[in-house]
Amino acid sequence: MSAITSNDVLRPAAKGLKRRLMAAAMSAIPFVFRLMRRFYPIAGFGSTYIVTRYDDVREVFGEDAAFTIPYKANLDVLTGGEPFILGMTRTPDYFRQLVALRQVMLADDLPELGRSAEAHAEMIVSAGNGRVEVVDQLVRRVTFDVLADYFGVPEPGIGKLDVWATRLFEFQFASSPSDHALRQEVEEIAPAFRDHIDREIARRKSDAASLERPDVIGRCLKLQAEGEPGYSDVEIRTAMLCMIVGGPPQPPMVVPQAMEQLLRRPEALAAAAEAARANEDDRLWKILREALRFDPLAPGLTRIAAKPWTIAEGTRRARTIPKDATVIAAFASAMMDERRIPDPGRFDPDRLNHEYIHFGHGMHECFGRYINRATLHRMVKPLLRQPRLRRASGPEGHLSKNGPFSERLVVEFG
Amino acid sequence: MSAKQTTLCVPLEVKPESCSRLSSLINDIRIREDKSTPGQENFARIIVNVPTLHFLSMSVFAAGDYDPMFILEANFDGPVGVFWGQMEAALSNDLREIVRCCKRPLDGDGKLYDAVTAPESAASIAAYFEKRTQSPSVFHHGNRGMNRDRILREHALFLTVRRELDAVDTIDADPYRGLEPRPLHEKLRQRVIADHPWLAQVPIQRISASEKAFDVLRLLLYVVILIFILSLPGLLLALLLPTAAYVAFIIVAAVLVAFLIYRKREPLPGTGIPTTFSFLNLLWQQAFVVAAYVIAATLLLVPTVVIGSYLIATLVPHETLSLSEAFWLIAPAVALGLFSLIVTVPLIILRLRYLEMHDSSHDAPQTREHLLREMIRREDWVAQNHMGSIVLLKPGVLRTAVVRAGHLGLGLLLRVQARDGYLGSMRTVHFAHWAFLNNGSRLLFFSNFDHSWDSYLDDFIEKAHAGLTLAWGCGVGFPPTRLLLFDGASHGRRFKNWALASRTVSRFWYSAYPTLTVDQIERNYRIASVLHKQTPSDMEVRQWMLDL
Repeated sequence: MSAITSNDVLRPAAKGLKRRLMAAAMSAIPFVFRLMRRFYPIAGFGSTYIVTRYDDVREVFGEDAAFTIPYKANLDVLTGGEPFILGMTRTPDYFRQLVALRQVMLADDLPELGRSAEAHAEMIVSAGNGRVEVVDQLVRRVTFDVLADYFGVPEPGIGKLDVWATRLFEFQFASSPSDHALRQEVEEIAPAFRDHIDREIARRKSDAASLERPDVIGRCLKLQAEGEPGYSDVEIRTAMLCMIVGGPPQPPMVVPQAMEQLLRRPEALAAAAEAARANEDDRLWKILREALRFDPLAPGLTRIAAKPWTIAEGTRRARTIPKDATVIAAFASAMMDERRIPDPGRFDPDRLNHEYIHFGHGMHECFGRYINRATLHRMVKPLLRQPRLRRASGPEGHLSKNGPFSERLVVEFG
Repeated sequence: MSAKQTTLCVPLEVKPESCSRLSSLINDIRIREDKSTPGQENFARIIVNVPTLHFLSMSVFAAGDYDPMFILEANFDGPVGVFWGQMEAALSNDLREIVRCCKRPLDGDGKLYDAVTAPESAASIAAYFEKRTQSPSVFHHGNRGMNRDRILREHALFLTVRRELDAVDTIDADPYRGLEPRPLHEKLRQRVIADHPWLAQVPIQRISASEKAFDVLRLLLYVVILIFILSLPGLLLALLLPTAAYVAFIIVAAVLVAFLIYRKREPLPGTGIPTTFSFLNLLWQQAFVVAAYVIAATLLLVPTVVIGSYLIATLVPHETLSLSEAFWLIAPAVALGLFSLIVTVPLIILRLRYLEMHDSSHDAPQTREHLLREMIRREDWVAQNHMGSIVLLKPGVLRTAVVRAGHLGLGLLLRVQARDGYLGSMRTVHFAHWAFLNNGSRLLFFSNFDHSWDSYLDDFIEKAHAGLTLAWGCGVGFPPTRLLLFDGASHGRRFKNWALASRTVSRFWYSAYPTLTVDQIERNYRIASVLHKQTPSDMEVRQWMLDL
């Protein structure tokens, strides 16, 4: 079976001792970060630096001229060399593309996205007969159904959207240059994905009725017809490809992680269930957001030093980062920094917004943050409403990981 | 766990050419945050984003002797770093612009200044303010141990209670009329607990036992060290002279110094103010300090000597001291040293009296008319007011030592004594503090208080003029003082003029509960405390009813 027709969203996981060692290393990260914040807050290992304190992480994200994003090379593989904001620095083109995206993805869409996510999740939970697998059966299904529909990109005739998107996501954000197998798969999937979107654009343009659909592609085509710059076929394709690769693979990673954290804290789980039953969506979002603070999307995000720069200049921990060095801004550590976060070990959904850096900070703050804010909690709301929500017995009742991806978590209710 | 409150200020020297811009910036922040319009919540951003904050002020002090000084004063709950993080989230751009109007520090913080003031800087402005923070030399926290949320929560309870009682007064069948105190308490508790479920929880202790013990220990340590330092000349002399000669010398010297002080006891012409304050009474009240010193010094020194002697014995064999031998060696030395205080302390007072007699006081301090008008315009809009003042300090080693030691001692004493929410008999001070500026050449004072500035000072002059004279008498131009405690602030009008001239406009001032007086917060606390209890005693309930 080729990569294009594969049904496996995630590649085979490591097994045996390697898997256990990786799991142990991941679970040790919070403790290691704690030590680093205290004794070695800007740690250097060769040409890689890890920044762990709240102030310094925000500085790295905020100084986008000094610390640029490293995504362009891989992104070119995905887009066929077409530019997209994720790979751009602070240029006029960046802001033109940003405005173009904001014109077709509107704040008014968010309530409906939230409702849709909840409705889809409700159907899955109802059909679950007291047992639901959170990662794939619930969150991934809801995310791709809702967002593919929102963007206007249907399932391809051959292959699966979630497999393609997740494989490309892994290549873009979590791969090693030495992973030739993944590169090979991506070189098959990416052209097929682009071709799929191209054909969909062509189909939509040839069908006057479907042009009126208020999805994102429909809006782009409408603006194209009106002669608005920034909406050529290639630009629309690139934007849709990147949005689907960058967005939908993430909720199936983080929402199960949040559920796992809630399952570890009966009081928090009870509070989440109460908020879900009372339809207090804001409250539920805050609880989920706080749960994610204990296990966010990743330990950190990578940046590349575009010039020599001293982080935390004027303090005792100041450290000059040489040009071209890799800097990991450990936002997971920053959200646990007791210097700025009050009592960080306490589960407190009433924390202030600035205490969270889930979506990064500054110029490259996640474009999908508002969609996430509208949908993530609604995906698990129907599940949380169920009576006696609990882990399934055995290992499947505990979240398993496959590299950076959540793999499986089964819960039962009723 | 009890609530930790912090008082601090950040003094930043202003570039003279940027002073007007800085004042405008602060005004802009005030106009933006302080809506002062019905229907709009004042300071909404600060209320939400800095939930630990009680009071915040920003002022610019202009002076002829120094370049202008920007001072941010804050009183808040919890850790300092968390507070600055919240401030950065709420006012990041404003704070950065403010720092840009201030001078680059010439000490080690210059690089940090450069980093935070660079164009488009993303460096943490919180880190800069944290680094430039200055701790107070003396501070007072009214309503001590009450965090902001608790103050607001208990006031909401008070309003619920009032509504409940007022509402039933308007109908014929008043369910509370005729009830005995305890059934009344029970009924009222049942009615209000639904809206205030926290009443069912055990209330957090305002000041924990460990905090109280720590405060006492620190004061005791201070007293021991201070008296030890003052005793040192006597201890050295006791080593040189036979005991009898030493005692005779001390007595003669003490009589002589006392006589000289007695001769200089009269006020300078036209500066005497009758007072009921008695120095002898004060000394008598502090008799426990002397006893505490003897006990503490003995307890500390005896084991030290014994352990030391055993340690030495392990290195150089010799006969070790037993506990009782060590005690009888140390205790007389301590007593002899202590005995010398009857000379050392009066000698210091005599020297200070000499300085006092040659001090210049400011009979007509200059006030700038437009500043005065601004201050008056901003006063008395709500129950509380705010004042900030900076005075120059009189020079001299002895005075500096006395002022520094005095502030340290006063600060520690306040922690031990001002635990009931009030500052002695003064019931109007929320947060107040002193701090030394410019290498100790100036003294800053900030206060957040109830009622108008005039009545606030009257309160001080009336009830604590001796303490005020002691604390502020070191200021250049202060009304003539006598023996550190007398006259001085008792010159009501002169003192007020002097204090007024040292003030500046509070360009930005925020209070998290502007309508609440110190008294009302304590009243709310008392009401809530008894409502917490399911079965309070009869006495508690009767007392509680007086607060309703």
